Amino acid sequence: MSLNTWLLLTPQLLVALGVVCCLLLISWQRSQQIIAWFTLMVLLVTIVATVSLVGQPAVHVTELLYVDSFSLVAFLWVLLAGFAAVYMSKAYLHSHLEVHDEFYLLLLLTVLGAGVLVASDHFASLFLGFELLSISLVGLTGYFRHQRHAIEVSFKYLILSASASSFMLLGIAFLYSQTGSLSFVQMQAESADNMIAQIGFLLFIAGIGFKLSLVPFHFWTPDVYQGSPTPVTFVLATISKSAMFIALAKCFYVEGFQTLIALPSIHHALSALAIISMIVGNCLALGQNNIKRILAFSSIAHMGYLMIVLLVHQQQAILLARQAVLFYLFAYLIANIAIFGVLVLIERERNVGNNIELSHWKGMFWYSPIKALVLIVALLSLIGIPLTAGFIGKFYLIILAANNALWPLLIALIVGSGIALGYYLPMIFQLFKKEVVTMSHMTTWRIRLWISVIFLLSIGVGILPDMIITPLLNF
Amino acid sequence: MTAIPLEHILILASILFLIGFVGVIVRKNALFILMSLEVMLNATGVAFIGAGSVWQQADGQVMFMLILTLAAAEVAVGLALLIRMKHQYRSLDIDVLSDLKGQ
Repeated sequence: MSLNTWLLLTPQLLVALGVVCCLLLISWQRSQQIIAWFTLMVLLVTIVATVSLVGQPAVHVTELLYVDSFSLVAFLWVLLAGFAAVYMSKAYLHSHLEVHDEFYLLLLLTVLGAGVLVASDHFASLFLGFELLSISLVGLTGYFRHQRHAIEVSFKYLILSASASSFMLLGIAFLYSQTGSLSFVQMQAESADNMIAQIGFLLFIAGIGFKLSLVPFHFWTPDVYQGSPTPVTFVLATISKSAMFIALAKCFYVEGFQTLIALPSIHHALSALAIISMIVGNCLALGQNNIKRILAFSSIAHMGYLMIVLLVHQQQAILLARQAVLFYLFAYLIANIAIFGVLVLIERERNVGNNIELSHWKGMFWYSPIKALVLIVALLSLIGIPLTAGFIGKFYLIILAANNALWPLLIALIVGSGIALGYYLPMIFQLFKKEVVTMSHMTTWRIRLWISVIFLLSIGVGILPDMIITPLLNF
Repeated sequence: MTAIPLEHILILASILFLIGFVGVIVRKNALFILMSLEVMLNATGVAFIGAGSVWQQADGQVMFMLILTLAAAEVAVGLALLIRMKHQYRSLDIDVLSDLKGQ
């Protein structure tokens, strides 16, 4: 392997090195402050390395990984999410007495798993990334073992992610038995017209669908979202889902898979999956009271919207589709950072544990306007109102759907967004309700800084997408 | 010795997989659920080895190694949770873990 090959793998190697150093650090001295700063530093260095590598020519790193700008930018999003998650955990873990160094270690392992996933070009590396991600997430969901729902949540997540991975593996085995190759690029197109290969492909999608919580496989999502510690819910919503989606997109855009997807039966199955995810996800969110539950259902719908980009065919559309995926995920990430960040703050102020309900942020606009403002922008961005990042993301999806004549999906997208107003708007209205509050709320300069960065990003990307983000997406 | 056709291997793997899956759904005892998960994973292992031998490649067996490793890791986490569960609820019945419900 040449030096250049190694160079392109630096981000993943840095995170892996960080994991090892974290272990050594724990055995040397158990201090929560040190390890938190150390993790932040590892992520920061990796972010810098990744940014500087974007734009390099794509390279196969052995048969297993394929690093191009697409996967580098995707990994950048994952790292940003990881950075935000560490920051939130710092605030969250502060209130507990134990030394929680394993928490950060598991977080780094999750990021590493996501890094392997976004770079994977072979079913073996896809599988390894998938498992690294899920097993460390099982640990994270049940981390606070004294909390009421810890065991329930992590048991549910363990069982469902294990069944998901066995579905995925059976699908891969079926595909392999017909094509004779585990590598994405070597998938032969002619073997697509084969019952076993098609069943295998659908099983594979089912396995990944569990992780993305597309609708027939979504049952774990609301419970796990609600019961996990808030920073972990954030990781589940952003890192795990974006990495899975990117891996799926990488394998869908390969020629061999394109012929598979073009088959009418597979195409219809995938469209159906997307449409019911959009509609059912949005409908279930109506009338919920728990904020994390609402976010769980809305994430189901968002993954449904995003499925549109997987169903395009022409080579030209695929370039646009890649940009669309990255842009949409970025908008989604920013909105989630804002919402979960504020949730962590509210939990700390009000001491309500994991169950944040809508009434807990009633009237927030009147006593803490900056937090309320950033929440409003984030919610508007999730709806897709103009001038926010989410609008441009949705715009991409609509263009793609229209150009490729995916009319049923387009209709579902619009209907779904309409239904979504039914629960996003009440969330915003709650912020303005008058209520007399007599409790302290902290807004230190750090929190203000964070909030303004997020605020500017989500507005800025919405108004001037060309300046901020497109340079990263031109590959 | 005649070779076993690929279809038979895949059918065997599917049947084993279904047995495991039904076990995961039907069983009430957490320990048996973990065992059924193992059955599912090993069924995929059978399919991989069969497919690998048809193509005369080592890839299938390599995947089986990875699956074995995963199964061990998953069981380790699962058993740790099982101990916590026994400790906290004094029962391995999966129904005690159903606090979280929506509206």
